[in-house]
Amino acid sequence: MALLTPYSKVPELNTATVLLVENEEELQSKLANALVRNENDFNVNVRLARKLPLPVENKETRPRIDLIVFIVNLLSERSLQSVESSLAHLHSDCFLGKVCFLVTDGRCVLRHVTLSVSQTADGVNAAAVRLLNILKVSAGMSPIATTALYLSSLTRCSVTSELEED
Amino acid sequence: HISYKFSCFLFIFFSTSNQNIIMLADYMKCCITISMNRLNLKHITNLEMIYHIENPDQGTWHACQLAEAQDDAVCVELTQFKEQFKAHLHGVIRHISIKMKKHEDEAIWIRIAWGDNFSKPNHLKPTYVVHHLHTSYVFISNLMAKHKIFLCQALVIATKHGSIKDGHLSTRSLTAMRDLLLRRYQQVFPNAHSRIPQERNTLSSHPCIGKEHSDHEEMRHQMSCEAFGQSPSPKLETAVYRLETRYRGNGNHTLSDREEFFRGVVRFSSSSLLDSLRHCVASGMAEGPVTPLLSAITQRGRNYFVITDKGPGVSSQASAQRP
Repeated sequence: MALLTPYSKVPELNTATVLLVENEEELQSKLANALVRNENDFNVNVRLARKLPLPVENKETRPRIDLIVFIVNLLSERSLQSVESSLAHLHSDCFLGKVCFLVTDGRCVLRHVTLSVSQTADGVNAAAVRLLNILKVSAGMSPIATTALYLSSLTRCSVTSELEED
Repeated sequence: HISYKFSCFLFIFFSTSNQNIIMLADYMKCCITISMNRLNLKHITNLEMIYHIENPDQGTWHACQLAEAQDDAVCVELTQFKEQFKAHLHGVIRHISIKMKKHEDEAIWIRIAWGDNFSKPNHLKPTYVVHHLHTSYVFISNLMAKHKIFLCQALVIATKHGSIKDGHLSTRSLTAMRDLLLRRYQQVFPNAHSRIPQERNTLSSHPCIGKEHSDHEEMRHQMSCEAFGQSPSPKLETAVYRLETRYRGNGNHTLSDREEFFRGVVRFSSSSLLDSLRHCVASGMAEGPVTPLLSAITQRGRNYFVITDKGPGVSSQASAQRP
């Protein structure tokens, strides 16, 4: 079974690539748009997928992936099942700072949620900014001497106060 | 005076529709002011018919299919059709009012106000029939059960066919029904090479955004368009599947051991059913390949199906093979 490995390819200069995995393909295109149109000091590439494993045909042309974001729609059980089955195709090294979970459409407040985003334009933009910060660290471009492992312990829960107002 | 009340009602009715009708309604207004005696039922029914021709998507239309064409069915001309149709109906019903108009798109519109041997024709509930000569489809609106036999006989005789049967297709929109049955929508045929282009979404056109599963996406799009046509598709609103099958679920023994059928009706409703189904398949919500139960809507031009235990496909109750 071909696993997605984190360090099997050479990175490109001043470029970071993020892979958005979402079963419904709804939020990912908006988020991708927000990510690339943001003003960044480095190039951002976005790859969109429905699930893992990724097609073998694209293996050569695919750049090195620095961050994998799994988008889960809390209104759909199938979304979560798809993410669970995709996780089996990830090499375990990826979990050391290269994987992130994003939930959307959540009405209840969850404890260990990593990132929660509403589907409004503001929510998408805010989520894009946060993702870019995480991506910067995962791709090794952060000026501060953090590594991705430290980052995951620093950002335990970023549930914003907007959610609690619901 | 009944015709005056009727005409006033129609005047208000008409003044909210399109320009042609407004002009005609003005004409009618002039008629009323000049002399009420000259306005008669003929003008009113004429106007009502014109209104229906211009606004066909009202009421409920049903499709019927002519079968067993005789050898000279293709030679039937308009005047011949009109004469034979009228002659038959006048022969079986004493009081009946029939009006026929040929529209510019080769459709023949027929308005029938039914009476019987004792009472005058009822112009408040006319039946409308639309037929395209030399096709086998007839579209009917507002027909009562007791008049059905007369109309069917007249159609069969006038078009030189052997029989007529129910098309199992009913919609609110005549345009949608015509487009579906006469294949006036963008069909897609299976082929190995060219793929139809998807609507280019402006969101994903940035060069830095790449799609991993674009091949799968194109394949799903192709499959969905083959089954349901390319957009815009005819605006059907419902599809009804009546189940006469045995329950075959696992676990629930009280239901599955019965001898009698587990009857149920599955109904799909949408403002545009074919577009919705196509989107379901193209976006991956429904797994492909498309089940023949759903693709039969376009392939066979029906939206009412009875599913029995005999096989996985649809019942062969009224399945005249489409040309």
